[in-house]
Amino acid sequence: MALLNRSDWYDIARDTNWTPKYVTEEELFPKEMSDCFDVPREKWETYDEPYKTSYREYVKVQREKDAGAYSVKAALGRMKFLDSADPGWKSILKLHYGGIALQEYAAGMAEATMARFGRAPGMRNMATFGLLDETRHGQIQLYFPHEYVSKDRQFDWAHKAMHSNDWAAIATRHAFADIMSGRDATSVALMLTFAFETAFTNMQFLGLAADAAEVGDVTFSNLISSIQTDEARHAQIGTPALKILIENGHKEGAQKLVDIAFWRNWRLFSVVTGPSMDYYTPLAKREKSFKEFMIEWIVGQFERNILDIGLDVPWYWDTFLEDLNTTHHGMHLGVWYWRPTVWWDPAAGASPDERDWLEEKYPGWNDTYGKCWDVIIDNIKNGREDLTLPETLPIVCNMNHLPIVGVPGKKWDVRDHYLDYKGRRYHFGSKVDRWVFEQDPDRYAGHQGLIDRFLAGKIQPANLEGALKYMGLQPEDCGKDAHDYAWVWNYNKPDKVAV
Amino acid sequence: MTTVPLCVNFECDFVLQLVPVESDFTMDQVAEAAAHHSLNRRVKPQPGRTLRVRLQDGESPFDRESTVEQAGFQVMETIEVYYE
Ligand SMILES: [Fe+2]
Ligand SMILES: [Fe+2]
Repeated sequence: MALLNRSDWYDIARDTNWTPKYVTEEELFPKEMSDCFDVPREKWETYDEPYKTSYREYVKVQREKDAGAYSVKAALGRMKFLDSADPGWKSILKLHYGGIALQEYAAGMAEATMARFGRAPGMRNMATFGLLDETRHGQIQLYFPHEYVSKDRQFDWAHKAMHSNDWAAIATRHAFADIMSGRDATSVALMLTFAFETAFTNMQFLGLAADAAEVGDVTFSNLISSIQTDEARHAQIGTPALKILIENGHKEGAQKLVDIAFWRNWRLFSVVTGPSMDYYTPLAKREKSFKEFMIEWIVGQFERNILDIGLDVPWYWDTFLEDLNTTHHGMHLGVWYWRPTVWWDPAAGASPDERDWLEEKYPGWNDTYGKCWDVIIDNIKNGREDLTLPETLPIVCNMNHLPIVGVPGKKWDVRDHYLDYKGRRYHFGSKVDRWVFEQDPDRYAGHQGLIDRFLAGKIQPANLEGALKYMGLQPEDCGKDAHDYAWVWNYNKPDKVAV
Repeated sequence: MTTVPLCVNFECDFVLQLVPVESDFTMDQVAEAAAHHSLNRRVKPQPGRTLRVRLQDGESPFDRESTVEQAGFQVMETIEVYYE
């Protein structure tokens, strides 16, 4: 029997709007769950998703994608890539899986919010596939690291991290709750699919795939490229929603949500992807610097997307561009210094050759971040590892929940962008984080960051040991220098003296 | 005497740190407590120079002899510790 072309039946089949008889329209689609902008239903009916697929087509393609990724894994599994992989690369895998796998399930719930409460039939349809996508991403990114658990228990954090009170988990949950689980369907379309998925997932899933291919980790490269093909599809949910909001006089409100989501994701990427690309990836295998990737994907592509659709670049765009030179270096230094508090082994990436590369990519690195590394290097050479380990906690930002960092050394520029609100002082890592808080203070005010919890006596004993226990880290889980300080001894070569 | 946790911004370091001090600590003792977590860890000491304490954005430092209580530091006050 001949099948109709999809275009012959698609519009009718996916038009699942009807007039409710037993409940009101408002009860069926409460504003808080559906659309904080309250755009009328008939306006939403103009929503036209750019990517159309049927369930039959979807399943066929997804099945092939899965078969591809799993068969590469099966074929290469016996080659024991991981045994010979650079420790820095292993850390990228641990960081990636722990930070992302379970958030894929959370993203599935956000897709489900759009699938049920989205005001446009097309949005609900696409989000149903998005929900299936994210379920796949969660499953596959738990399955792949699982085989390593017996060899290296830090891989267990692929599943464990998001259930813990590790600072990195608190930061990730807080950011994603703000753009996914804590928002209505329309806001999710803007903040998750538009701001996060069209901008940042490219970085993690294509930028990192390029590095993975260079390193020879074909399994991982394949896996994350496969995931990105789904992201590229369901990321398109946001654009037609934005169009409708702008047409109906909500440009300002939509802009604000995009600005908030973009910043929150940027900060998260500065601690996850920045160190991965500029410090953990072995020098010879680095495709581009983090900043170069960011400029290509974010400034080159996302900026154009924003302008094309009729929004403006975020008000803090200059701050963001300046941040590309600095923030992730501070985040990296913080993660390395507080390494017992993470479930991966941070690679210092500060050997003489690596410093030359950093200085070339980020002029002035040696006079700033390099100054801190100089002291660290001397301490390790002098047998004072104790001085390279923390005895207190960094102050974490009350918005992004990452350490409040700035530029050290000759261009010392570190600031607390604090705000007093209803008798409590909140500390922020940047004026933009503070701005996000000020947009809806009561939304964020009740949350306790790690330092707040420490001061409230929730972490016992009240020292670093108690903090590690609170974060769920056993001694074998705690991060250590990925290369056991081997990089320090390169400084003994006479032609390479630390400057 | 009570413990007052402070948010410390140490000159030339890259990060703000939590440093608990006692309310009867002098500013010199505050500076010393702060230095423990930065100097010789990520910041080179400058022998012969004196560390001073001021509020973030404060124009001048507090007297070296004045105490935390006299300075009126609140819990999690953000202070800068720097070489004079
Ligand atoms: Fe995903
Ligand atoms: Fe996604």
